[in-house]
Amino acid sequence: MLEIRNLSVSIQDKLILDNLSLGVNAGEVAAIMGPNGSGKSTLAYVIAGKPGYEVTSGEILLDGDNLLELEPNERALRGVFLAFQYPTEIPGVGAMTFLKAALNAQRRARGESDLTTPDFMRRVREAAQALKIEQEMLRRPLNVGFSGGEKKRFEVLQMALLGPRVGVLDETDSGLDIDALRIVADGVNALRDPARAFVVITHYQRLLDHIRPDVVHVMSRGRIVASGGPELALELERNGYRDYAEEAA
Amino acid sequence: MQNWYPGDAQGRGGIYNFVTKRGDCRGARSKISWTQVETGSAITWKYPSCILRGEASRGEFYSIAISNGHQQVDSGTKMIHLGRNTTSRIISKGVAAGKSQNTYRGQVSAHRLATGARNFTNCDSLLIGQECGAHTVPYIEAKNSSAVIEHEASTSKVSEEQMFYCLQRGLSAEEATALIVNGFVRDVLQQLPMEFAVEAQKLISISLEGSVG
Repeated sequence: MLEIRNLSVSIQDKLILDNLSLGVNAGEVAAIMGPNGSGKSTLAYVIAGKPGYEVTSGEILLDGDNLLELEPNERALRGVFLAFQYPTEIPGVGAMTFLKAALNAQRRARGESDLTTPDFMRRVREAAQALKIEQEMLRRPLNVGFSGGEKKRFEVLQMALLGPRVGVLDETDSGLDIDALRIVADGVNALRDPARAFVVITHYQRLLDHIRPDVVHVMSRGRIVASGGPELALELERNGYRDYAEEAA
Repeated sequence: MQNWYPGDAQGRGGIYNFVTKRGDCRGARSKISWTQVETGSAITWKYPSCILRGEASRGEFYSIAISNGHQQVDSGTKMIHLGRNTTSRIISKGVAAGKSQNTYRGQVSAHRLATGARNFTNCDSLLIGQECGAHTVPYIEAKNSSAVIEHEASTSKVSEEQMFYCLQRGLSAEEATALIVNGFVRDVLQQLPMEFAVEAQKLISISLEGSVG
């Protein structure tokens, strides 16, 4: 479903992704692990279309369409969702207001009518309950003064409401205590669906105890250097990334 | 709320709008509150003012000024504290886009007999794009040593991160800008009656059309 072919990306002439290829099937959870600076977050941003990255070669196909030719919002409307590692604060914009604007923008793009307010409120309440998000938090401005855990839960809440085709989770486990990690992981697990794929980027095995991946890819120096089943993540936990870093050199 | 013709793409032919409105608080504990939403005209000079004569009278000024294209806005207020224990509050939100220049110019003066005069001013500016400017020019004059006058100002930009976050959720660049700007001016919008606030929000979105490319 998501097919990345020979992708090379630079930032200011520095090569970050080096001829990277990766396929993720519908219904699959693919974990991407790797040391700091291996290009994991860059991969997430380039899939979503963040400005500032120069794609020098390759393509990213979602259901056969090249995402690289689309604007970031067009990619979102086709079902690309990025759960940010550091969600951005937008002062004065209520979290609810933002949710409604995003949801309705996506509905309109599909030719559906805007949700009525009661309908919208009901959906948010249900999704928020599952993630143990207080209504009070949703009345605050977007991500402003949210704790690390609240930000991550709110990312997953947005993902639940928007129902993407591909969810890219960029170190969603960072800054979470063990209870929050479980809540967030349960939230993601509830969204697993035969028609939906996940790319889960993480440093640690810990998250993968809760979100069981179908495939694990190891990234080093801008490439996928190893792929395997969940057992690969366990091996990394024991031996570290050292072997792979050398292999890529 | 004023929305005069701002001129063509080069700013030619737009209206020049020069307004001086004055309010006089004569009675004790009388109050005048100005609320303005400025989006139009090629050049705006507008300074709705309060003369705070009555004892413990109060003046308020809430302003949203949006400029785009080649517009120039120079707007603010005058709070003239004459009476004892008079208070005033100024909240100004300026949004500059395109090649526009957006200036807050305001005077707060506490006269000799205005014992206990108190003012609070908050001026925030938001810049959209690389070619616009925001300026804050406060004139503060205290002739009574018991007067307390506060001025806060900030200038910020719609950041690339904020834009990208909104786009990533499926909003268009224009929807995202309108959302961020409406958040920025929220404190003042809340001062408007409901019906006006709804209109003002729409007007803000329209004024900013074409400000992001």
